[in-house]
Amino acid sequence: MIRIGLRDARAHFGRFVMSIIAIALGVSFVVGSFCFREMMNNQVDQMMASNSDADVYVRGNKEQKDSSSSFSSSSSSDSTSAESKSYNRIDISLVDTINGVKGVDTAEAVYEVNGLVLVGKDDNAVSTTGGMTVGMGLTKGTWRSATLTQGRWAKAKDEITLHTFAAQSAGLKVGDTTKIVYPDGPADVRVVGIFSTASSQAGAIIIGLNPQTAKEYFQQQSGQVGTARYLTVYGSAADGQPLTVAQQQTLADSINAALPSDAHAVAVTGQSVRDDNAASTKKALGFIQPLILIFAVIALFVGSFIITNTFSMIVRESMRGYALLRSIGASPVQVFVTVAVQAILLGLVGSGIGIGLGWIMVRGIVMLMDRLGTPMTGAVDPSVSDMLVGLIVGVLVTFIGAALPARRAATAPPIQAMNETVNPEKPVWPRGVIGTVMLILGALAWLLCWRIALADDTGVAVSPWNGFNDWLKSLGTGWPLGIGAGLVVIGVIVLAPALVTPTSAVLGWIPAHVFTVTGRLATRNLSRSKRRTANTAAALFVGVAIVSCLGVVAASAKASVAGIVDSGLKSDFSAMSVSNGQIPDEAINAIRKTNGVDTVSQSRMLMGVTYGSGDDAAAAMTFAEQPSLFTKVFAPVTNSGDANAALRNGELVVGLQVAKDNGWKVGDTVKVNGRQVVVDEEATAKAQTDYQAQVKAKIDGLTAEAQQLLASGDVSGAQSKSAEAQQAAEDAKNVDPTTLVKTKTETTHVTMKVGAIIENSIYRSMVLMNDDAANKIANQYTMFTIMLFINAKHGTDIDALKTRLIKAVKSYYVVNVQDRDEFKSTMSSMVDQILLVLYALLALSIVIAIFGIVNTLALSVSERTKEIGLLRAIGTSRAQVRGMLGIEAAIIAVFGTMMGMVVGVAAGVVIRVVYQANGLSVLSIPWNQLGVFLALAILIGLVASVSPASRALKQPVLDAVAAE
Amino acid sequence: MARHSKQNIRQHSEHSTNAGTNGAQQRNQPDHVVAEAIDLTKVYGDADNQVVALNHVNVEFERGQMTAIMGPSGSGKSTLMHCMAGLDQPTSGQVIVEGLEVSAMNQRQLTKLRREQIGFIFQSFNLVPTLSAEENILLPLQIAKKPIDRDWFRQIVKVVGLEQRLTHRPSQLSGGQQQRVACARAMMARPSVIFADEPTGNLDSHSSREVLGFLKQSVHEYGQSIVMVTHDPRAASYADRVLVLADGNITQDLVHPTYDQILEVFADEGEEPSA
Repeated sequence: MIRIGLRDARAHFGRFVMSIIAIALGVSFVVGSFCFREMMNNQVDQMMASNSDADVYVRGNKEQKDSSSSFSSSSSSDSTSAESKSYNRIDISLVDTINGVKGVDTAEAVYEVNGLVLVGKDDNAVSTTGGMTVGMGLTKGTWRSATLTQGRWAKAKDEITLHTFAAQSAGLKVGDTTKIVYPDGPADVRVVGIFSTASSQAGAIIIGLNPQTAKEYFQQQSGQVGTARYLTVYGSAADGQPLTVAQQQTLADSINAALPSDAHAVAVTGQSVRDDNAASTKKALGFIQPLILIFAVIALFVGSFIITNTFSMIVRESMRGYALLRSIGASPVQVFVTVAVQAILLGLVGSGIGIGLGWIMVRGIVMLMDRLGTPMTGAVDPSVSDMLVGLIVGVLVTFIGAALPARRAATAPPIQAMNETVNPEKPVWPRGVIGTVMLILGALAWLLCWRIALADDTGVAVSPWNGFNDWLKSLGTGWPLGIGAGLVVIGVIVLAPALVTPTSAVLGWIPAHVFTVTGRLATRNLSRSKRRTANTAAALFVGVAIVSCLGVVAASAKASVAGIVDSGLKSDFSAMSVSNGQIPDEAINAIRKTNGVDTVSQSRMLMGVTYGSGDDAAAAMTFAEQPSLFTKVFAPVTNSGDANAALRNGELVVGLQVAKDNGWKVGDTVKVNGRQVVVDEEATAKAQTDYQAQVKAKIDGLTAEAQQLLASGDVSGAQSKSAEAQQAAEDAKNVDPTTLVKTKTETTHVTMKVGAIIENSIYRSMVLMNDDAANKIANQYTMFTIMLFINAKHGTDIDALKTRLIKAVKSYYVVNVQDRDEFKSTMSSMVDQILLVLYALLALSIVIAIFGIVNTLALSVSERTKEIGLLRAIGTSRAQVRGMLGIEAAIIAVFGTMMGMVVGVAAGVVIRVVYQANGLSVLSIPWNQLGVFLALAILIGLVASVSPASRALKQPVLDAVAAE
Repeated sequence: MARHSKQNIRQHSEHSTNAGTNGAQQRNQPDHVVAEAIDLTKVYGDADNQVVALNHVNVEFERGQMTAIMGPSGSGKSTLMHCMAGLDQPTSGQVIVEGLEVSAMNQRQLTKLRREQIGFIFQSFNLVPTLSAEENILLPLQIAKKPIDRDWFRQIVKVVGLEQRLTHRPSQLSGGQQQRVACARAMMARPSVIFADEPTGNLDSHSSREVLGFLKQSVHEYGQSIVMVTHDPRAASYADRVLVLADGNITQDLVHPTYDQILEVFADEGEEPSA
């Protein structure tokens, strides 16, 4: 029996091509998604291993709510970005204590400076899509995984060492001079060395700075002096090699023993830190895999369905053969086996190709990312378990697909098989009922989700039951949204067969009236096998649903941003730093001086501001603005109070989100805690005294030595010693006194009144105060200009002014001046890029869907051979037969597309409402886009019908009629 | 009452030839002949393994007659009919229907021929399952986008006795009823000739009689020309003329034979008459 199956498989190979392609695509997505995840994980692990390569880290022992405020407001994404745990900062003076511990090679605070810009050989800022530009204070021993390949480490502010990738991207060599834009403006620097790291840095530009320089900028950026997030410690137990986990633990233990108890510090092993960091990074990247898997599921669904169709065709055509086998004594199981063997063979071949495709796919992605400036060194080859998963999924899906036709082949009574009667389809109303119930449940879940979102926003209770409300609140909006979407999608798939007849009647109305006969025949043919029609359409449905949902969200996001600009933004230009950092003061002055500029409003971010007292202190992004903000830059959308007056009177203007989180109302008084960096007189005096004492001791020592040598008669030796002593004294005079200035952070407490609550989407999660108020709680070290809004003088030519502005800031490299339209399109182009990826996925699901339609039609044609022959015999032209199948295919495609659009748009609307608070304030449905989808669907259907129609027409009329 | 006046047909075919829409060669054909085969040969298989299905057959089918083609399995009777109807391409020789050379037609011309000159009745009814009886009957006209003659339709439906069944789908009709729908469909377009391939092959004797009676009536009352292939001497006895084929040759040409005469022929041939 197996032999018969194998022979059949060989005979049917042509038929199997489509099934194999479908299975291969599905499996390739599965394997590709796993492979991709592993590659990312591998990359993250590698980067962790080389970037956090210390044996022991010393960090704070108290976990904190992360108050570091990144400037990423106004984006519509919800705030579920991975949050790594944050601890209290520790004093860097602990370095000395740790260095004294036995087994410690070096202990150091490594400072990182973000938001730098490296100017390349071509005098343009170096930027890659992969990541940011990071400056690190590096010298020998601070970073074990960094190997100096050329030159030396930077020793002064005007020297830098570049990572190989950075040097390559910038086109710089050792000895070249270039510019670096520090947070406070550009500076000329010389490349003195190049270093490499074990793993690629995924496109990050790493610049090795002189540690002292890095420290200064770090302190400026963080507003923290003399503290660090963590200290890195390298152990000496393994002779410069990384320590084992046990050795790390021993070292950490001995450091812990040495740390003073009031330091609030703890030593942990490097491994545990790496694991933590890797886990949070991987979590952040985790969303990619499910996205790919969705398309894998579509491909496999269609694949299994194509296989069912293909085997139905084969079984139908071989029914006589099976009946013969049965009549000569083959058992049903044996007949089943002949079919199953073919399925398994097909599954194996398809999965094998799929695994190869998946591997190529990941390779392709890695190559593409490399080209885009994000080199990956993570392993891309699928592991054995990936391949096994792919193989099992592929074979299983094939087997499931073939099982039903195989069963039909096995169980059909021989006589019936020989006569080939078509059994009427089972009624579809039960599926209609189940599908409707699921749809309703899904819609209810969405409704609930909306209520929860509403409750979050406005405090309207979700339901009269308090306990239930609390539970729902803790549940959040994500779960109901997801469950709702799942129920709706599955509900529609279940319901679809029941929709076939009414839908094809409606959709077929036009064709049935334009092409009377072919249109009517096509429409009725669809209802013959409702499940098959519905399943074919489902392939398109899922893909289109995803894309139209995201299309609605994206269009709404765009419209919302455009809305902000159109309705609120009053200034003519905005300026931002492309490195997401501060705008240098010189650049601001240059802009102010530009001819035609009327006013420049500065938005300054205050570092580390908290509200409230003690442990309840809550952080919020705080900005210092000019009193004219609301009249010149943005019109306020006031929730309560008078925003304009409040800002002028030195009161707080609070974003709605912040007000809600803290329960503030207009008129409340709030304790504001700001940070200032001031010179620590006492410490500076002490440092100077210490230094002087140190120099004096050195001179004294040298003098004593000189005298000793003189006494022993070594005159030249004595002379050199005394020269050394003089040199030391000279050096001490020349030393830059600022290096001896010790600074400290002081916290200022001010009580302020909440003057207004506003709900402009860009200000929702911010607190605004005027410059005078801000100066009371912060100083220049803790306040940075993030954004400028520029108003032109009345009657100035805007375009000409823009050119002048761009010229004015050119030498600062980082400042990006945008007019209103550009400001609008920054967001739009980002959204468009995301959409581009989606369209690629849609294209793929369309390809798969075309396979589905082609296959369904092919099966349908094979079943209707006689009927088509008859139609031909009574005078139907070839064009009419093509037309009939074309209409059938087009209706299937439009059916799937319309279901997808309805569900997708509904989901998009729900998402928009739920995330209204996060900036999706305007609903926009991309009708044009949806129209294009629909037109595309018709086209797809027509294209898909070409090959089955040719097959139908190839059959001579006589054979068709005589096919008994 | 003969709706098929010869003149009409002639005019029609001349018109189409002159208009050049039907590029097939016009042949001179006596008016009483609706279709003819000239030196028709059909060979199946390759050079090594030839089966001669039709061996230089010459035959004329008379207008307004029912002609039955009989013969044992493999005698070539079905091949003859398929070639006559343009369903099969002869190896050599010509097929002329209404003065048009069928054997030289391309697909488009064949489609036109089927729409205008030829009707079919098959053994296995071959109705479109998604269409009702009425829609099936009207299908050929609709496909050809020809106007529907409602009077003619009512008349045919009445003759085949399907007035009460017009809205039914084929699956809701008995075999006899289905075949009567098929007959009505073939009649509806008023083709020059109807080819019927074992029209009673799948029917019981009662239904067979009904269908044959209807076919005969259409020949006598409306002047329809019918060519029918059959195994069944009883069916053949309804015909005006019976051709008997054996091994690709016409061996007998009986005009108005009785049932007994037909049986006799087969007795001579030493064959079982019924399938």
